[in-house]
Amino acid sequence: MRVVASYNVKGGVGKTSAAVNLAYLAARDGRRTLLWDLDPQGAATYLFRVRPRVKGGSGKLVAGSRAIAAGLKGTDFDGLDLLPADFTYRNMDIDLSHEKKSTRVLRRLLDGVADEFDLVFLDTPPSLSLVSENVLHAADVVLVPIIPTVLAVRTYDQLVDFVDSFDGRRPRVHGFFSMVDRRKTLHREIIGTLPADRPDVSATGIPALSAVEQMAVHRAPLPTFAPHSPATRAYEQLWRELVPLL
Amino acid sequence: MGTYELTFDGSTTLLAALQPLAGAYALSVGPRRTATIAYLDTADRRLRKRGLTLSYERSAGTGALVLVDADGARTVTPLRQAPTLPALVDALPAGQVRDLVADAMWIRAVAPVARSKRSSRQVAVLNADQKTVVRLEWVESSAVEPVQAPMPPRVEIRPLRGYDRDGDAASRLLLSANGAGGFRPAESTAYDDLLRLAPAAAARPSLEPGMPADLAVATALLGFLDDLEANVEGTIDDVDTEFLHDLRVAVRRTRSLVKLAGDVLPARLVARCGPGFKWLGDLTTPTRDLDVYQLEMPKLSASLAAGDPADLRPFAAFLHQQRTFEWRKLVRGLKTQRFATLCASWRSGLAAIGGAGRTVDELAVERVGQTFKRVLRKARAITPDSPSEDVHALRKRGKELRYALEVFGPLRGADATKEVIKDLKLVQDTLGEFQDGEVQAAALRDFAGRMPNPPAVTLLAMGELAAGFAAQQRKARAELTDRLAAYLGGRTQARIKALLS
Repeated sequence: MRVVASYNVKGGVGKTSAAVNLAYLAARDGRRTLLWDLDPQGAATYLFRVRPRVKGGSGKLVAGSRAIAAGLKGTDFDGLDLLPADFTYRNMDIDLSHEKKSTRVLRRLLDGVADEFDLVFLDTPPSLSLVSENVLHAADVVLVPIIPTVLAVRTYDQLVDFVDSFDGRRPRVHGFFSMVDRRKTLHREIIGTLPADRPDVSATGIPALSAVEQMAVHRAPLPTFAPHSPATRAYEQLWRELVPLL
Repeated sequence: MGTYELTFDGSTTLLAALQPLAGAYALSVGPRRTATIAYLDTADRRLRKRGLTLSYERSAGTGALVLVDADGARTVTPLRQAPTLPALVDALPAGQVRDLVADAMWIRAVAPVARSKRSSRQVAVLNADQKTVVRLEWVESSAVEPVQAPMPPRVEIRPLRGYDRDGDAASRLLLSANGAGGFRPAESTAYDDLLRLAPAAAARPSLEPGMPADLAVATALLGFLDDLEANVEGTIDDVDTEFLHDLRVAVRRTRSLVKLAGDVLPARLVARCGPGFKWLGDLTTPTRDLDVYQLEMPKLSASLAAGDPADLRPFAAFLHQQRTFEWRKLVRGLKTQRFATLCASWRSGLAAIGGAGRTVDELAVERVGQTFKRVLRKARAITPDSPSEDVHALRKRGKELRYALEVFGPLRGADATKEVIKDLKLVQDTLGEFQDGEVQAAALRDFAGRMPNPPAVTLLAMGELAAGFAAQQRKARAELTDRLAAYLGGRTQARIKALLS
């Protein structure tokens, strides 16, 4: 079982869209896939039409008194299960802090479903917190959506430095461009130069198209209702890039 | 997560049949899909005995191997092209399904045992959020093999993970609204129903206490003949090596029983057919010996310490070539008039036996007792220095005793017979190790002499194997007398005595 986290400290940069679409594409490819919506706002959960609730909430889940498997919901798509968000996830930091080796709890919990899934996607809340640290320790690959701006690139560098400071196992950090507007010179310049300097940043850019926003209207992954959209093709390209990193 | 299967007794459209769900759920009906399904199993139904249902499902040019285990869990391996059947496990397309059936299939091939045509529609059952909570599959099918026949529609109810309550509710709604002339729980699988359509095989007559001895012996021999004939086609088609093995076992059992109790049969029948079974046994031996070598090749390769497994490749190729040659000779033999006449003549002769004279009970006590005494006498004469021929002779007598017990033992008590056979099997294993060690080492020398231009490394590796066989025989020889004493000792003798009293 490999774990991929869709993570960025900032909100509204395309983390959920990436997690939902890539998880769908992984399942479509025949991989037994789980998407864990860790964001108490529950956007991914909403997109899959699942009610955001985990019996016992964050507290029981983190304490291990309620197994992950008991909270799983089948999505409308073969091979793709969801662990929905729960509003109590807003307290997950506190729950995690009560546990031994508090930065490794999520990885430990995921081991309980290791036989059931080939791939787990973590859709994470935008924060720098104990939850984020758990996510980074649980992940084999951290996918980071980067809006092509100078400040976003700087934030990405900070994340890479932070992961480099880990003792022992470190996830592979892989950036990709998100909400790309090719009409903007800065976007074109950054996309044109950064991947050449940084092998850990993909040249693939997810365009800022309304089709992506339509996911919330259709409440479904993008490839299911807009299979020929350039955004779908970009996510498919990103999935192809991700496979060798797993 | 519970999956339910219901059958539908009425005749109406899908939507009308599912109407009871409409009050609680919305339904989204998918397109009609047609498929042909071939259910696969080995000749001795090894998969079915383990609760596994393997099928090859094909629709619109694509196909998949589908495995349903005893708990109803379904595993699918999509295929790029149709498998060639019958197929040994290595010839099945690679994937999860192959991995899961490998152990159960063992060295046997799977082939279609039943076929059906299926037309199905998937129905998504949606809750108030328009989320699929249950998947229904409405299946209309008709049997193609073993006979052509329509089959009642079925509905499979598969709740999505985390939505078991909706699965229960959907099942309840369908069952309660259509109690009569509608849905009812399926009591068997579609595969079971297909197999039930096969014409029932005539029950084989069994040996009963008090039967006339000649009729009992003829009945047992007719059973062996059925087994023999049932394996001819698989041997000729070379489906898997077990067909020939089972054919040989039937021949050996026949010859042993004729030797043990053939005197109760008409002498002319025995004189006419007896030599034919010796011919048949000899005809099958070379191919079977080579089969055993080929089956053991992976183990033999792995046993090499000095040589490399790759060194044995030319030897393996030689064995393969020899086996093909001998198998062709065997097939020619099985297609001769001589073989057909032997089977027909033996069958008609045995079937004509009317039943007269003493009972099988008396015969059983006498012949099993005599055979056991012979085995004991030979076993007691064995020492660690005994010539190989004496050990081989004991093994043959041991096999005869085993066959005698298999035929006559159940008349005296099935459980007691099983215990004696178990002890005897352990003796036979030891004798087998001894004999195999010698025979295999001798065969290796013979092969080495007949291989055209074998590479030096191959001969060296074969030499290492021969040394291994010699060591095996030495070890078996050292253990022989102790094992014979242990398994043919007081306990076994008491069991046999109790069986015959």
